[in-house]
Amino acid sequence: MTGQALVHVVVSGLATGSIYALMAISLVIIYNATRTLNFAQGEMLMISTFVGWTAWQVLHAPLVVALAVAVVAAALLGFVLERVVIRHAISATHFDVLIITLGLSLMLRSAAGVTWTHDEFPFPSFFSNRPLVAGPIRVAPISLGIIGASLALMVALGALFRWTRLGRAMRAVAQNQRAARLMGISVERVYSSSWIIASVVGAVAGVLIAPVIFLSSKMGLVAINGFTAAVLGGFGSMPGAVVGGMLLGVLENLAPLYLPASIKHSVPFLVMITILIVRPGGLLGRVARRKV
Amino acid sequence: MRHAALATVAAVVVGWPWAAPRYFVFLASLIAINAIVAIGLNLLSGYTNQLSFGHAGFLAIGAYAAAILTIRAPALPVPATLLLAGLVTAAVGLALGVPCLRLEGLYLAMATLAFGFVVVEAILNLEWLTRGNDGLRVPAARIGPWILATDTARYYLVVAVAALLIVAAVNLSRTKTGRALLAVRESEIAAQASGVNLAAYKTLAFVVSAFYTGVAGGLFALVVGFLSPDSFDVFLSVDFVAMIIVGGLGSILGSVVGAAVITALNDSLAGFQNYRPLIFGAILVTSMLFMPGGIASALRKIPGAGARPPR
Amino acid sequence: MISRASLLLLLAVTLSALPAAAQQGVSDTELVIGGSNSFSGPLAFTGDQITKFGVDLYVRVINDAGGIHGRKIRTVYYDDGYRPQDAVANTKKLVEQDKVFAIIIPQGSPPVVATLDYLEENKVPLLFPYQSSPVTRGKRYVLQGMTLSDRSSKMMIDYLAGQRKIKKFAALYQDDEYGKSFLTAFEKDLARFGLKLVGAESVKRGVMDVSAQVAKLQAAKPEVTFLVLVPGPGAQALKERQKIGWTDTLMVSTGPLTDERYLALAGDAAEGVEGLSLWPDPVTSDLPGVKLYREHMQRYFPKNEPNRYSIAGYFAGMLFAEGAKRAGRALTRESLLAALESFKGFESGILPPITVGPDHETQKQGFWVRVEKGRFKQLTDWLKSE
Repeated sequence: MTGQALVHVVVSGLATGSIYALMAISLVIIYNATRTLNFAQGEMLMISTFVGWTAWQVLHAPLVVALAVAVVAAALLGFVLERVVIRHAISATHFDVLIITLGLSLMLRSAAGVTWTHDEFPFPSFFSNRPLVAGPIRVAPISLGIIGASLALMVALGALFRWTRLGRAMRAVAQNQRAARLMGISVERVYSSSWIIASVVGAVAGVLIAPVIFLSSKMGLVAINGFTAAVLGGFGSMPGAVVGGMLLGVLENLAPLYLPASIKHSVPFLVMITILIVRPGGLLGRVARRKV
Repeated sequence: MRHAALATVAAVVVGWPWAAPRYFVFLASLIAINAIVAIGLNLLSGYTNQLSFGHAGFLAIGAYAAAILTIRAPALPVPATLLLAGLVTAAVGLALGVPCLRLEGLYLAMATLAFGFVVVEAILNLEWLTRGNDGLRVPAARIGPWILATDTARYYLVVAVAALLIVAAVNLSRTKTGRALLAVRESEIAAQASGVNLAAYKTLAFVVSAFYTGVAGGLFALVVGFLSPDSFDVFLSVDFVAMIIVGGLGSILGSVVGAAVITALNDSLAGFQNYRPLIFGAILVTSMLFMPGGIASALRKIPGAGARPPR
Repeated sequence: MISRASLLLLLAVTLSALPAAAQQGVSDTELVIGGSNSFSGPLAFTGDQITKFGVDLYVRVINDAGGIHGRKIRTVYYDDGYRPQDAVANTKKLVEQDKVFAIIIPQGSPPVVATLDYLEENKVPLLFPYQSSPVTRGKRYVLQGMTLSDRSSKMMIDYLAGQRKIKKFAALYQDDEYGKSFLTAFEKDLARFGLKLVGAESVKRGVMDVSAQVAKLQAAKPEVTFLVLVPGPGAQALKERQKIGWTDTLMVSTGPLTDERYLALAGDAAEGVEGLSLWPDPVTSDLPGVKLYREHMQRYFPKNEPNRYSIAGYFAGMLFAEGAKRAGRALTRESLLAALESFKGFESGILPPITVGPDHETQKQGFWVRVEKGRFKQLTDWLKSE
């Protein structure tokens, strides 16, 4: 295995990993605010990307319009789902909400199949597929583009959480809902905002990854990897989501490179189980100490 | 009132193959198999709050174990095959449960999800034993001189085993062990404070849950007649979770009803083809919105009807 | 005095007036066929196309022309989502509840193989399953559809190693029955030439990234790399190859992969890729049967693009209809089988003349193509796999 090939495989893994990280972040945003695991996250991403793609096709507009439409569609979808469905179930246990989001994911995937068929479609990319060679290093611009765009989005989210009122409100609700409400924070607004933001993050991830895995009704399955990444890094922690995602992406790529066929597909999962056994809260997470 | 209801149910179950067309006897077998898994899963998730997304893995282990035994040791009577399948699966459950004791909530859910994937990979790798991707044909089972070659014969086997396991579960829930498990679900800390050995009970829940699912897997192998890694994906695990939540967590009746409803629903919607997941999903959403806590808790609200959860 | 002759005549007339034993799925006015297929799950698009826009397209044409011997064909399909246990349940339902006459074009090796024993035991014809693994061979009631992988492999290896004298082969294959059956077949056929695969890497369905597998294959320096994949991962592999600038291998697609879908997905990364094509180009071919297929598609489903999946289903419908026609008005499962087995040089206008032998295989051929300017260009005549 040449060094050049290794670098390429690792960078490619980091690109997929960035998408996992974005998926993990969107799952964590919703979970932190509402204590709900959103099974439909992947399907929401898929629908938003499809809507953006349809607009781009119909309007014959530049690609950036597809991204804009996808983001708007995502925001709308997130808002509507939270308001119309989830809000009404918020008194139920989180298990019930889990089944509701599961039902939503099935509905969204089926609706996509009915609207656009279950076929796979090529999706244009902002970045080229031809390699860039600089001495001993050879990388594909599309991988770099995905990594760069994802990092930019993560930085923007970090800034949102740190320096805006909404961000602080979301962090407060994540820490202690009751106290936040007593402090005058509208918990309902935080719920809506978290679903909208998570959905928008998903749409960006969708537009970035669709050129690689192609646009189809089954695109949403990438959310499973997002869940794995979030747990690996420590569920609830943003840096954990990023670390978990990148690590998962690279592991998935290195395993087939060095390991025999029989275990290469299991390796990411085996590594994850091992990490969880050693650190039950994930890599960067902390196991919550409950006060009696 | 309770006895009358039970007697009616028993009569319907025993008389079913005479009244119902052959296909619905087969479907009833599938429902009973799923009910056993649901009860097993409920033991883990409904009682001790350890949500598992990997029960398709346990089902696979039980199924392949039973299939391989039926092929390689055909003289073995079916009850023994099922017992062994259950025990093998329970052993794996122990091996998984102990390291996972420190995990909770979503972390445990993820670990079980990973387990499900790893089991399928293992099945593919042990090709010499499982025939991997080619799939494994399961020959008909035998009890003594009788070969269970018809849907009806297999139905009675499944229903007999299911009845046994349901009675065992109900009895378990009434014992000190059952109460301890329930206490663990309500509050781990309070349970510990009351002297419940948390680790022991959580592990026990894992092992018994795996045992039940393993036996169900053996029945699955005999009823379906063909096993393939494609049968045991993560979506099947999610289906089982849906069964216990829709049925009602922490309730044995709920698990059975949930399994029946989800299985029958999935079957009746097969003709809707592309629209099947749409309709199924819509039903899931609306039923949870209107029946929070599942069917069992909705039933509880009807005075005099349904079984009360072991409280 | 009643003569013996008139007694015999009376007997004959009486017997012929008795109703014939009812054949399941066949009534005075209708003929019911169906199958379990993927309408959800990984192969949902294919499932939709081979049934609703494939078999059903031909059925519409036949029914509008009066049906077969006065009977209209009705189709029933159930979704199994590629799950074998659901396929078993659906198939039982079709046979026992819907009382179908025959099962037509179910998809995928695991779901199909799961139902094989049941259908043979119940003497239900299984017509043209849409899968390429040879495991369905040797059953009395099964008529094969797609060219099976061992035949495909023989044609491909005979052409590449025999005619073009290529020595180093590698394979990128899907980690399922389709991939495995081709891999086994390749190894067997290469051994006939004293060759072995220099590299073989497996890919899981639904994979996000194939860079590691492609990198490993590149290191093995094969002259030809077989792609035993479905369109998505196939296109990913080609784009990956483009990304790393790996130009000194010829990528060759297997029959099931050689279709316009992966071309669309791979874009210019597919240029120069060769493969075995199982069908003439459904969009551009001017073979009479293909033109008719396009006309019919335009008439009944104008919004659906012609493609190789629907033409496969259409072809299956055509074979079934021809078999039912030849069997006559007194249609039974046995007479249908006998009729299908009697095909000698049947002209479909789509594929070379069909002769069905005791092997019950209806498709045994393919021809070589290369991708030029986004379409498949035919390079050889129909290859033989006998």
